[in-house]
Amino acid sequence: MALRLLLPALLLLAADDPLKVGFAKLASFDYQEGMTLPKEVTDLDEKLVEIRGFMQREVPGSEPVNSFLLINDACGCNGTPKLNEIVFCTLPDGVTTDIKPGVVTVSGKLYVGEENEDDVVIMIYQLDADTVK
Amino acid sequence: MHVLLVLAVASPLLALLPLIQGPVDDWPKEVERACASPRYGLRLAAARKVANGGSAAVPAVVAWADKNGRNALPQTLVDAIADAATTEAPVLDLLTMWAADRDFYWRASALRGLALRVRTAGYRRVAILKLCKAHADDPAWLARTHARFGLALGGDDGAMALPESDPRARARLPLLLLQQGKLPPLQPLLDALGDERTFQETPWGQQAAIETHKTLKAWLGDDHPLAKGGAFADTAQALAAMQAACSKKSGQALTLPQVARDRDVTLAGGVELLSCKNGDQFVQWTDDGRVFLGVDAARELTVPAAAWAEVSKDRTALRLPNAMGAVVCDSIRLRWAAPQTHGKAAPASLPADATNWLKRLAQAIEDTGDAKAAADLRAGLEQFASR
Repeated sequence: MALRLLLPALLLLAADDPLKVGFAKLASFDYQEGMTLPKEVTDLDEKLVEIRGFMQREVPGSEPVNSFLLINDACGCNGTPKLNEIVFCTLPDGVTTDIKPGVVTVSGKLYVGEENEDDVVIMIYQLDADTVK
Repeated sequence: MHVLLVLAVASPLLALLPLIQGPVDDWPKEVERACASPRYGLRLAAARKVANGGSAAVPAVVAWADKNGRNALPQTLVDAIADAATTEAPVLDLLTMWAADRDFYWRASALRGLALRVRTAGYRRVAILKLCKAHADDPAWLARTHARFGLALGGDDGAMALPESDPRARARLPLLLLQQGKLPPLQPLLDALGDERTFQETPWGQQAAIETHKTLKAWLGDDHPLAKGGAFADTAQALAAMQAACSKKSGQALTLPQVARDRDVTLAGGVELLSCKNGDQFVQWTDDGRVFLGVDAARELTVPAAAWAEVSKDRTALRLPNAMGAVVCDSIRLRWAAPQTHGKAAPASLPADATNWLKRLAQAIEDTGDAKAAADLRAGLEQFASR
């Protein structure tokens, strides 16, 4: 009985807490353009998430950025990251950050699905980033 | 003689090939897109197109590198060319030139491209194997691994048994071979699955574990423990299930891997030097002068208390920004708790006071008797010292 009462309260709390998501899940499949993405990643669409990874600029430079790539490999040791190994993060308009060294934790709303530009898939994971820690 | 005759007859016809194939691609434009598009996905797509263009696209790649600098070429383009199947001579020449250039950031990718072609390169096979042999003990672990990969694919099974001190390399070589359908000893891959070690919060053990699991999953196919769905209950159950599945399919006697964790010690800081040119170096320390070398902290030294106090005093006086120079590939990262510091520098961008302090650290290491580790650290620093 007590558990039954407690459960809705726990669910309410959980709704506000970001879901911890790792690259082990995001990059767990061999991505091919046009494929049906696995349910375990499409289930994350529009969810508030928290992801740990390395920040990387989308274009070379040294200025603070409004958007960046979050990847799982700091050294390029596993070769060019595939599109399911990158989360494209965008900060709110007008907000910028330095590219931080080492592992960071980014939280925000995740969007899952192929995004095209010039008939080319340019991303499958987008994150409206709220915080970078 | 016959080969020369065929070449003499075929050469004029080959020159007409682009006309027969249809409109010629604008390779300079495609290379520009592959190197300088503002979106990563566009660069990736253009890189694949350039790579699939084979020899026809090579002059445009070379011209772009001549104009902008070889190290301005993105890894995406070099990897795409490495992964393409073509064995045309201009492509092999390009990869060979890159692989032999110690200053080229992506030379390990070029070596991988040559290794992947060793079985299909015809008469160029001997030259590729010679290059791989020359880099089999390269100080950069990825270059060394890809060279050994080429030797192993070329039939030299001894390459898999060469001594290897870097745990990342010990897993990487069998992983690459398995991806190419050559069954290696699987124990290093099983061991990698249970690796949870870190370096200054970089989870290098789990990074390797993710890649390893993907490769084993593809190789096991329907024999993977979760082929029909579900999830492992915990790490121990996952390791046991993977050991059983891999043993059964390979016929190899595999032991249950232990979960590898960091040393039970409170680290006060560390320096990570990543160099595709000179090789990676890792140093960590405690407040009381215990110094650990290697990504896995495998080697431990003790600096006498008085000497360590002096080294620490100089370090705490340093004030470093987060970002020093524009990092493309090689970098040095310095991180410690007191005062809280976390900075990353590109080659030729490390301030003089930080460089001098690292030289003092090298001296402290040498004074413990490890002259080689000290010399390696000093040599590695040269690339990063501000000029």
